[in-house]
Amino acid sequence: MITEIAWKNIWRNKTRSLTVIASVAVGVFAGVFAMAAINSSVVQRIDAAVNEELSHIQVNNKDFRSSGDIRNIIRDYDKITSVLKATPGITDITGRVILRGVASTAAKSTGVEINGIDVEKEKEMFTLSGKIIPGTGSYFGPETRGNTVFKPVFIGEKLAKDLNIIRYIITADVIKQLEEKGVPSGVTAKLLPIKDQRYTSDKKFKSAVEDLLTPKEIKKYALSVREAAWSYREGSRIILSFLDMNNVQTGAAFRVCGIFRTNNDILEGTSLFVPIDDLRKLTGMPEGTYHRAIARLENNDMTDEATREIRSNLPDYEVLNWKEIVPDLAMISDMIQQIYGIFMGLILAALAFGIANTMLMAVLERTREIGMLAAIGMNRRKIFSMIMLESIFLSLVGGVAGMAVGEVVIAVTARTGINLVKYSEGMEAIGYSAHLYPTIETQFFVTTAVLIIITGILASIYPARKALKLNPVEALRGEK
Amino acid sequence: MKVVEINDVYKTYHDTEVEVKAINGITLSFEKGDFAVVVGPSGSGKTTLLNLIGGLDQPTGGEIIVAGHRLSELRPSELIDFRMEHVGFVFQSYNLIPVLTAEENVGFIMNLQKWPKEKRKARTDELLLSVGLADRHKSRPSQLSGGQQQRIAVARALAPRPEFILADEPTANLDSKSADTLLDIMEKLNREEEMTFIFSTHDIRVMKRARRVITIEDGRIVSDERINGAS
Repeated sequence: MITEIAWKNIWRNKTRSLTVIASVAVGVFAGVFAMAAINSSVVQRIDAAVNEELSHIQVNNKDFRSSGDIRNIIRDYDKITSVLKATPGITDITGRVILRGVASTAAKSTGVEINGIDVEKEKEMFTLSGKIIPGTGSYFGPETRGNTVFKPVFIGEKLAKDLNIIRYIITADVIKQLEEKGVPSGVTAKLLPIKDQRYTSDKKFKSAVEDLLTPKEIKKYALSVREAAWSYREGSRIILSFLDMNNVQTGAAFRVCGIFRTNNDILEGTSLFVPIDDLRKLTGMPEGTYHRAIARLENNDMTDEATREIRSNLPDYEVLNWKEIVPDLAMISDMIQQIYGIFMGLILAALAFGIANTMLMAVLERTREIGMLAAIGMNRRKIFSMIMLESIFLSLVGGVAGMAVGEVVIAVTARTGINLVKYSEGMEAIGYSAHLYPTIETQFFVTTAVLIIITGILASIYPARKALKLNPVEALRGEK
Repeated sequence: MKVVEINDVYKTYHDTEVEVKAINGITLSFEKGDFAVVVGPSGSGKTTLLNLIGGLDQPTGGEIIVAGHRLSELRPSELIDFRMEHVGFVFQSYNLIPVLTAEENVGFIMNLQKWPKEKRKARTDELLLSVGLADRHKSRPSQLSGGQQQRIAVARALAPRPEFILADEPTANLDSKSADTLLDIMEKLNREEEMTFIFSTHDIRVMKRARRVITIEDGRIVSDERINGAS
């Protein structure tokens, strides 16, 4: 009965109640959606780190990571794989040979981490093979170029740019593209003398274009021409230099078989991938030896337990999970919960004042009625409960509406994505995607609902106490 | 059988620096089946007396015994239960719960007392029939006239079978026809259920129906007359 009266009471002044409900709904929606967006960036970053770069667990020779010395190898790889296979949750295992070296082209050189990989196994375990930029080759495709067999290398977009593995060609397609963008045909006609010519440096191409156009045309169209004519040079040659097992400088020419693009500039700029056998031959590393064993789990939640078990079974090795390799990421993941608490706490605290104000107005308007209820025998607990329930209903109706709208918007944006391309450079520099796909766990809604109910209860305390202080005789007289 | 005993009761209010003696040494009792009115000029202490009898207020002196309970000995929470169990209230401005229907208003106190649903419904039907509103079960107070609302208020007060009904100016807001209908119903219930009614009123129509008229002035009883064959 009290519940029924409380529910009916909130609809006595529809405009006022709907205003409060709307403000709660907007506040809750804002909180839920903002958290889904923040959460998604972290979830995407973790997914990317695990799926593109780290996997869940890595086992290294104890001294390898600190020294980087090629000779710190895993000699009993079979023992490690048998321990990994026996660990619950492990689904895939692979090994890598990892060298620190220098990658050079005719134009530039840079320090890199050279990963010798089992090409097929890594295709199953990581998603990098699917991140290839269209038109830049393939993930370790046919290893021939004409009649020449070459050693393939799979590199990131940033490294390709750093090593100047780019070209400029004015093709028929480029001319068509320029005209579609509004470049007059008179201007594109002037470019025909350099059609199908390949320029491997920005400077040479710029000079060739400037020779053909007037200063006014250069100012207006040169940038568009460069952007349209620019592309990566698949099949470019890279010299990789590194130390072999005897600590002697060695190296070889590799050809870029494909260029991948991720949101992680560090991975793209410093890591490259070659078939493991090519590296073994060049370094003299014995067959069956590796620097790192990598394991994948059924799901991320098993990481800590699996790490503990593997660590206890392989005390002579360095066993690390992704959280330990990139602790900042793990910390951000944990911080999200706290940020959520603070964020929703602030929103709900602000809403609590609005709800309390509305309830106070309702109590003051109903002084005589509350006095009558007390007079005819409704005890203090029931009066308190009635006011509290009204406050909870107001909060909960608004909260559920806000969460429902939030869920719909999250579902839509999870498909379409939120494009933060304006900030892409900065975000990708620290490994975050500029395309967010908001996501939230069901538990989040349960926690939010509990917080909303608590808000309703807290907001009702002052008005309910005010109601309890009413003297029935005075209240019935219409005094306070 | 005495339902209410009032022994040398005083009620003094301290309004800023002035001491107001609202009730000044009243001794009085009501018998089961009384149909009594308390009359007197405004400020004479009528409503205060009813509030004291109903346990809404506490006397500053003397003692009130209702249905065997010494009200001065009851704690505030016990007084609330006492009111719910033993007293029925009818107010001048009806004071129904606007969000509830007629039958829900009538059943409200029985609901607080946790009557079984079937029993509650039967009593509600019976009372709505007695007050002539059997066809208005689902009407909200805003859909009823003043007279009809006051009849619902009487039915609500009677529902849990209290010891007596306190009615403070119950006809003050009603037209003659509605007031007569209401008083007819109250007389019938008094007769048939032997329900005790204690009114405070200025209304001559109520006084004419009363079988006992208690006149008070300045917080004192100036007359207490029993009338035979009141009309």
